[in-house]
Amino acid sequence: MGNTINFTIDGKHVTASKGETILQVARKNGLYIPTMCYISKTSPCASCRICSVEVEGVDGFILSCNTPPTEGINVATNSYELERERQNIMKLYDVNHPLECGVCDKSGECDLQNMTLEFGLSQQEFSAKDQLRIVKEWGVINYDPALCIMCEKCVHVCNEVIGDDAIEVKFGGYGSTIIPKDSDTLDCTFCGECIAVCPVGALVSSDFKYSANAWELSRIPSTCSHCSAGCPLEYEIRHSGINADDAIYRVKNNFEFASLCGAGRFGFDFDVQDNKDKRRFTAALKVVQNARAIRFSSIITNEEALILQKMKEKLGLKLFNEDARLYAHFMKAYASVSGKLHATANLEAIREADAIVVIGTRVATDNPCVRYALTTAARHNGAKIVYAHPMEDVLMKNTVTQFMKYEVGTEEGVMALLANELLKNTDLDDATKAFFDNLDLGYLEAESNIGDDELFFMSKLFMRAEKKVLVVGADMFAHARVQNIAKLAAIIEKHTDFSLLIVPNEVNTIGVSLICDLDVDEDLRGVVGYNAHGEYIIAADENADFIVPALNQQEGTVVGIDNQVLPLNAALSFNGYELNDIASAFCIEAENTIDYTKELPQSVGFKGVEFDSLENFLGEFGEDERGYQLESVECVMDGKLEEVAELPEYNGTVIYQVNPVLQFNSFTNKTKQLERDTTLRGSAQFAAVAKISDGDEVEISLGDTTQKRVFKLDDELKGTIALNPTFDSGYDHGSYRFLKSKIVRVV
Amino acid sequence: MSLEAFNNRNVAEGDYFLVAIEEYPTTGWDKFKRVVKRTFKGELFVGLWVVLREMIRFDIHTVQYPQEKMPIGPRYRAVHQMKRLWESNTERCIGCGLCEKICISDCIRMDTKIDENSRKEVTEYTINLGRCIFCGYCAEVCPELAITHSGEYENASEQREHFIIYEDMLTPIDKMKAGKQLEFEGFGAITPHEDERVKKTPLAY
Repeated sequence: MGNTINFTIDGKHVTASKGETILQVARKNGLYIPTMCYISKTSPCASCRICSVEVEGVDGFILSCNTPPTEGINVATNSYELERERQNIMKLYDVNHPLECGVCDKSGECDLQNMTLEFGLSQQEFSAKDQLRIVKEWGVINYDPALCIMCEKCVHVCNEVIGDDAIEVKFGGYGSTIIPKDSDTLDCTFCGECIAVCPVGALVSSDFKYSANAWELSRIPSTCSHCSAGCPLEYEIRHSGINADDAIYRVKNNFEFASLCGAGRFGFDFDVQDNKDKRRFTAALKVVQNARAIRFSSIITNEEALILQKMKEKLGLKLFNEDARLYAHFMKAYASVSGKLHATANLEAIREADAIVVIGTRVATDNPCVRYALTTAARHNGAKIVYAHPMEDVLMKNTVTQFMKYEVGTEEGVMALLANELLKNTDLDDATKAFFDNLDLGYLEAESNIGDDELFFMSKLFMRAEKKVLVVGADMFAHARVQNIAKLAAIIEKHTDFSLLIVPNEVNTIGVSLICDLDVDEDLRGVVGYNAHGEYIIAADENADFIVPALNQQEGTVVGIDNQVLPLNAALSFNGYELNDIASAFCIEAENTIDYTKELPQSVGFKGVEFDSLENFLGEFGEDERGYQLESVECVMDGKLEEVAELPEYNGTVIYQVNPVLQFNSFTNKTKQLERDTTLRGSAQFAAVAKISDGDEVEISLGDTTQKRVFKLDDELKGTIALNPTFDSGYDHGSYRFLKSKIVRVV
Repeated sequence: MSLEAFNNRNVAEGDYFLVAIEEYPTTGWDKFKRVVKRTFKGELFVGLWVVLREMIRFDIHTVQYPQEKMPIGPRYRAVHQMKRLWESNTERCIGCGLCEKICISDCIRMDTKIDENSRKEVTEYTINLGRCIFCGYCAEVCPELAITHSGEYENASEQREHFIIYEDMLTPIDKMKAGKQLEFEGFGAITPHEDERVKKTPLAY
C-alpha cells in the first residue's frame, strides 16, 4: 500500500500521504469544507463539529479535521443532512450571542458573522437562559465570556505553539469559559496569540478595544524588527484623529501559520516624526564630514548598511558595530570548517525536528520565535529537546526534555563534550580525530559540571531521532574562544545529521555582518552614532541630535534568522531626512534608499533584485513567499580546530545580560503597551551572596562602567547569576554576556 | 398620442407659423423714431399698473422667503441630523464607523474609545459639509438610524469650521424630552409596518 492513500471527496479522486487528515487533503485539492475551530498550526481542537462529512457506508458523521482517510472511501462534504447539522450548530453558537456587532472589535472579520451568513440563518428556534458573564481584564488582553464560543483555539495555541500553557477550559456545559490556568489572573508572557486566533471578539487587545473597526483600517504587510526572527506581520493603520496623521492601531499576523510574540504584536508605536530642517541637516553633514567613525546598531536595513559601507569607502570612516562584527567573526570560523557561508537550518526545520540541542542562549527571551518553534516540535513531534545553559529558564520548563547546566564561561568545553558525544560513531579525518582523542574529558566534565551520565542520557534520547537541529545562541559570539566554538558547531553539522541554526542578537545582525566591513570598536573622538551611542547621535529617537525614520517608517530589507531577505514596508510616513539624504550630500547618490536593494553584494548570497519585486506574504498553505532566501556561498575550508583552552572560572556574583520577556531594545522600550521591568532579578541565593535584599537599590560594576538598578528577588531563579536587562541601556553586545560583577548596595 | 408624433423632428411642418416682425431700423433716423415711440408709448405704465393692482389685491403668487418657506419632501437630503433614542434619550450613534467608510467624498471623520462603563463612546464626530455631496449613503448604511438627513437647507456662517460638529446635528435634549424629535422618512429609514415584520427571538425559559 505504501505511504499514500487513494480515496474520493465529492467524487474527485484524491491522494493523501500518511498522517494527513481528510480536511487537509480536501484543502490541498481546493475542496471546501467549512470549519470554525480548525487552525492549521495546532492539532485539531475538534470542538465545533462543523467540518463533519459523510463517508459512504459509515453511519453518522465523521469529523474531517481529525480523521485520516482509509483506502478507497468515498467522502461527501455536502448533503441535506450535513447542511442541517451545520445550520443547527451555527444556531447553537448564536444562542444568546450578544447583538453588539455594531461596536464589537471583531465585526467585519468575525467567523461567527461570516458563517451565520454563509449558512443563511435568519431565525433561531433554540434558546437558553442567559448567565451573568463578566468581562475579565487581563492586562493587555481582555476576555469577554459572553462573546466566547468555546472553540478552544486559544487554549491549543497557548499550549502547543507558544508553550505558556497559561489558559484552560473550565468545563461546565453552557457555562464553560476560558480561565487562566492555576491562577486568578492571567500570568503569561503576553504574546497575544490568543487574541489573534480568537474567531469572535471574546479575546481582544485592551488597548485597541473600541478604538477602530476592521473596515476602517488599512493593512501594511511588513516584518517585525524587534528580534532576529523577522516574523511576518501586518501593521493596521488609520487616521488618528479628525485632522491628524495616520497612526498604527494594531498589529496582526497570519495566525493560521505564523506566530508573533508580544513585542511584535503590542510594541508597534516606536515611530518618530521630524520635519525637513535645512539648518539641522547642514549641521549633521558637517559632523559626518569631520567624523572619524560611525558606530551603529544592527537594527537597520540592509540598504542603510550598504550606504554606511559606501560612506566608509568614500569618506575613509571607520565602522563600528560590535554585534555584527562578532557575529561575522563567528561565522567566518564556522565557514572555514563547514565550507558554507550561511548556516543550514531554519525555524521550519526546528518545527519539524524530533531532536534539538539548544546551547548558549536564553532563548525564550532572546528570540521568542525560536521558543515557539521548539514548543511546536515538542508538542507535535514529541521532539526531545536538550537545553544547555548555565541558568534554568522557567519558560522553557514545559518544553525541555533535558536541562544540561554548565558553568559560566565553559562553553568551549561544553561544545567539545557535545561534539565528542554526538560524533562518537562517525568516521572523521585524522586531524579532527586527533582533536577528540586528545580531549581531557575528565577535566572538561569536572570544570563544566556536565556529567558522563548527562551526555549518555542525551544520546539515548536522540537514538531514534531522524531530524536533528543544533541551536547556537548569542552567548557564544563574544566568548573569548568563539573561533573554536564555531568550528565545533560546524564539525557537528558537517559530520552528523544535525543542521545548525544560529540565533543572532538583532533583527539584521546577519545582513550587516555580510554587507559591512567592520572595524574593532575603539574609544575614539569624533564618533557619530547611527542608532547607537556616539558624540553626535543620528537615530530614530526624539532625543537624538538628528532624527531619522524608524523601521516601521521606511522601506528596506533585513536578513532574518532563516537567512531570508525580508522586506519591510513603511506603515507610517516620515517627513524628515534619512540616511540616504546624508549620503547623497557626499555624492553617494540614489533617489531612494531602496534603490540599493539590487546593489546588495551578490558575493555573499544576495540576489540583486529590485525591492519592488519582493513579495511579502504567506501562501495559502503557509508557504513563505516573503523576499528571497540568500544563495548558498562556498567558502574555503582551511579551518583547523585548536586545542581546548583552559576553562575559565566565574565565582561569586555573576551578571547575565539578558532582557525580560517582550523587551529587546530601545525601540521596544519606547512603546506604550509593553511592560518595562528594569530591575536586576536574582535568586535568594544571589541576594545572600551579594548581601542585598528585595527592593534594594544597587550599583553593579560591569567591566569599567557601573549601572544603578533596583534588585528584585525572583523565586523562579536559582544560583548566583542575576539577570540584568539591556534594553534601556544601549548595550551593544560587544562583551561576553556573563560578567563577574561587584554589587554594592546604594545607601 | 403615439410615439411617432414625438419622433417627428421636422419642425418646419405642422402648426408652426411665422410671427410678423417689423423690419429692423437701418438708418439713424429710423432708430431715433423707434426710441421715441417706445419711450412715450406708455408701456411702462402697463407694467406698473399690474404691480399696483396686484399689490392692492394682495393676491401674491411668489413665496415670501424667508418669512415663508415651501414644504420640503420627506426624502429631501439636506444637512445631517444625529438622532437620540426614544427610550433613554441617549445618542443612537454607536460609533461603528460605517458612515465614515462608505462616504464617497470622504467627509465624515470619527474617533471612538472605550469609556468608563466599558461602552464604546464616540469622542469626535464631524462632517465636512464643504465636501459633502448629500448623497445619502451615510444615512442608508447607518444600522441604528442614528444619522439621517433633515430638511434644513439653510447654512450660513462666518467660518467654514462651523460646518459641522456633532452637537449641532444632535437632537437637543429639551426637544427630545418634549417628544419633538422627528423621525426621518426618507433615504435609509425603516419602511412602514416594520413592527409587524419583526420576528421575535424565542425566549422559552
